[in-house]
Amino acid sequence: MTVVAQSGQPFIDWEWVLTHGDDMWEATLEHATLTAIALGVGLVLSMILALVALQWRRTYSPITWFTGILYTIPSLALFTFLVPVFGLSLTTAEIALVSYTLLILIRNIVAGVDAVPDHLTEASRGMGMTNRQTFVSVQLPLALPAIIAGIRIAAVTTIGLVTVTVLVGQGGYGVFILRGIRRQFLTEALVGTVLSVLLAVVVDAALLGVERWATPWATRKASS
Amino acid sequence: MIEFFGDVIAFLADPENWTGTRGILNRTWQHISISTIGVFVACLLALPPAVYLGHSRRGGFVAVSAVNIGRAMPSFGVVGVMFPITLSIAFLASPIGYWATLIALVLLAMPPMFVNAYVGVREVDPALVEAARGMGMTGREVLTKVEMPLSTPLIMAGVRTAAVSVVATATLGAVVGYGGLGRYIIDGFAQGNDVLIFVGGLLVALLAVGTELGLGWVEKRSDPTQRSIPDDEKRLVAPVGLDTADHVGSGTEAR
Amino acid sequence: MPADPMILLSDLSKVFQGTTTPAVDGLSLSVREGETVVLVGPSGCGKTTTLKMINRLIEPTSGSITVAGNEVTQMEPYELRRGIGYVIQQIGLFPHRSIRDNIATVPSLLGWGKSTISARVDELADMVDIDPDMLDRYPAELSGGQRQRVGVARALAADPPVLLMDEPFGAVDPIVRARLQQELKDLQARLNKTIVLVTHDIDEAILLGDRIAILNVGGILEQYETPEETLRDPANPFVAGFLGSDRGIKRLSLIPISTTDLVPGPVVAPDAPIHEVRTVALEYGVDWVAVVEDEALLGWKAVADVSDSGDAARPGFEPRPFATTLSPSDSLKEALDAVVTSHTSVAAVVDGDRYLGMLTMDAISKEIIQ
Repeated sequence: MTVVAQSGQPFIDWEWVLTHGDDMWEATLEHATLTAIALGVGLVLSMILALVALQWRRTYSPITWFTGILYTIPSLALFTFLVPVFGLSLTTAEIALVSYTLLILIRNIVAGVDAVPDHLTEASRGMGMTNRQTFVSVQLPLALPAIIAGIRIAAVTTIGLVTVTVLVGQGGYGVFILRGIRRQFLTEALVGTVLSVLLAVVVDAALLGVERWATPWATRKASS
Repeated sequence: MIEFFGDVIAFLADPENWTGTRGILNRTWQHISISTIGVFVACLLALPPAVYLGHSRRGGFVAVSAVNIGRAMPSFGVVGVMFPITLSIAFLASPIGYWATLIALVLLAMPPMFVNAYVGVREVDPALVEAARGMGMTGREVLTKVEMPLSTPLIMAGVRTAAVSVVATATLGAVVGYGGLGRYIIDGFAQGNDVLIFVGGLLVALLAVGTELGLGWVEKRSDPTQRSIPDDEKRLVAPVGLDTADHVGSGTEAR
Repeated sequence: MPADPMILLSDLSKVFQGTTTPAVDGLSLSVREGETVVLVGPSGCGKTTTLKMINRLIEPTSGSITVAGNEVTQMEPYELRRGIGYVIQQIGLFPHRSIRDNIATVPSLLGWGKSTISARVDELADMVDIDPDMLDRYPAELSGGQRQRVGVARALAADPPVLLMDEPFGAVDPIVRARLQQELKDLQARLNKTIVLVTHDIDEAILLGDRIAILNVGGILEQYETPEETLRDPANPFVAGFLGSDRGIKRLSLIPISTTDLVPGPVVAPDAPIHEVRTVALEYGVDWVAVVEDEALLGWKAVADVSDSGDAARPGFEPRPFATTLSPSDSLKEALDAVVTSHTSVAAVVDGDRYLGMLTMDAISKEIIQ
């Protein structure tokens, strides 16, 4: 059944889909790049802030409060604060995208490290590991599942947000959506949306695979 | 820089900019009204099934999917897709962009509400439920007198998360022709008017943060036991009761 | 001249932040090389605090601790700890590392060569009786008892002279615990480490300790002697109470049968005539006789079962075996158990097959009274 639009288009224009493979691929690369930069920078920043919060407990509240505010502010609004300063540029887009990753990543890193049982850190210190060695060899690896869970959530959220960056002059799937709106062309808007969802699903699954690979001990149980 | 802020303040100080169809008051009203309707409708659609499924402890799969789909859905995309669709259905075509935005809002608000309500009801201490049954309460009484009151904070948290993301998505409504505070931003981009852009963003940010704080206050008051669950735990609710190997869950933030 | 103590605590005190009463108040104690000292006492006596001050997981408020001649506070804590083995109740095996890597932790920290480490791990696995197949598994795949052994192996990996153990066997069930305790004793007999062990279980302390330090609340040292001396002569009512009202019997577990006099008992040959059987039984005032042939104990017979025709060992009237026979290295406590639960009210002692004699209730009681 096809619902014929006002302009006489069919529901989905498959021909358009088949002929714009190149565009879709290019958009995918742009979209993935924007996401990767945001996640990379976000992870580094979050690690630093998480370490601060773990070392000086009292900073955790203010840090989560601040990143929480950033998280609450709608993406478009965040762009508007940055555009007067950085213009319609990659910097504007990335600063906003990175801001949205901070809350979830910091929270998961801190929670993950906190969840490592005390007796393990006691054992490692008791054996003569320095605090740094304890953190790197014991706490961090064991916090990995929680950290990767946070990265997965941040990744999926970021991929969705990257679609909005078209409004500040960036590429990615948002281009299709915007053009779909401007031309009132459902197929294009739908393609932009579907591709974004697909990318999110693929990245999420890939990260889940990374988690499984990085934590071989988590799946083994006592046989006896 | 100072000059810029001077311009912003001048803009806000000018009463002309507050009145009329393009004034701040009207646009704020547009923004709030469509958001409120969206949240309300989403509540009607999402809460009853969520509460029912949570109570009967079924449909975990639906909640898991809801979270994953909700998180993966780009809000801009949903708005963008709804636009041509609503245009092709005569009675939804006008006011321009209204129905597209509203339907998108409802769709994007439903997942976080559903998940939180589902988990909230399901995670009520089974011992309490058992005690209630043991005292002779029917299933419905258990639901209304025990499970729902106790899950209210989590449900409210879901409504809060949804409301904030609705306010954000309503901003995007301006791209498809709706008014609201997003209009300032989109017009500002079109005209290259930085002051307009900034004012729009500022007002939207204030509205979003205000919604978060206001509903947060309501949420705290709604807790029958007045215990304190940390804010970020509720905002990014992880449905612990669902047996999934994946780490399901966060409030789905459509922005 | 006595050798310098391996561990010396001098006037050691610890006051925790936010409290006024010291957790440990002026404790002085010395541990000789190769000795196993058990710190035991009720909750709040500071035994764990004291142990953790030795490797500076808790910093002393005042006083000094010397290990192998080095003042503990002069060293970097992590260097100190790499030279001391540390075993805790929850064991603390790293779940994300294989058993092999867990054991190799301290040698790796010390920078040993890979092949040296590998050989050492294999050696330790053998020493604590861990199947080499287990080495590449993860801790989650091992049973509680196996994990405990790995914990001990890990503590011994860098061959430290001192071993600190904090309720090491608390988390396993009694059967496994008894086995692990015995394995520790055997290990210690071979390795001769200096061990300081904390427990709340007085029986464990008696079993494992060369000397027992009984601590009262606040780290007050009430008595610090060998288990036998402590059990025989508690220093004060507190210690007596802590040892329990059955301390007489507890002492018995430390005394081997070999140190006690045995009586020959009512013994007859398998072919002894009835009148001899009756005479022997009467002599000892019992209604049964033991049957010994060529120094081997065959069992016992009730006098009533011996027929008039004189054959004590006729077919159909085989001697009944003793329910338990004991060896000279068994403790008097086990002998007491045999005596109390048998029909004959004696414990028969044999060395392999060779019959040595019998232990009566009287002989055992004499040991308690002494």
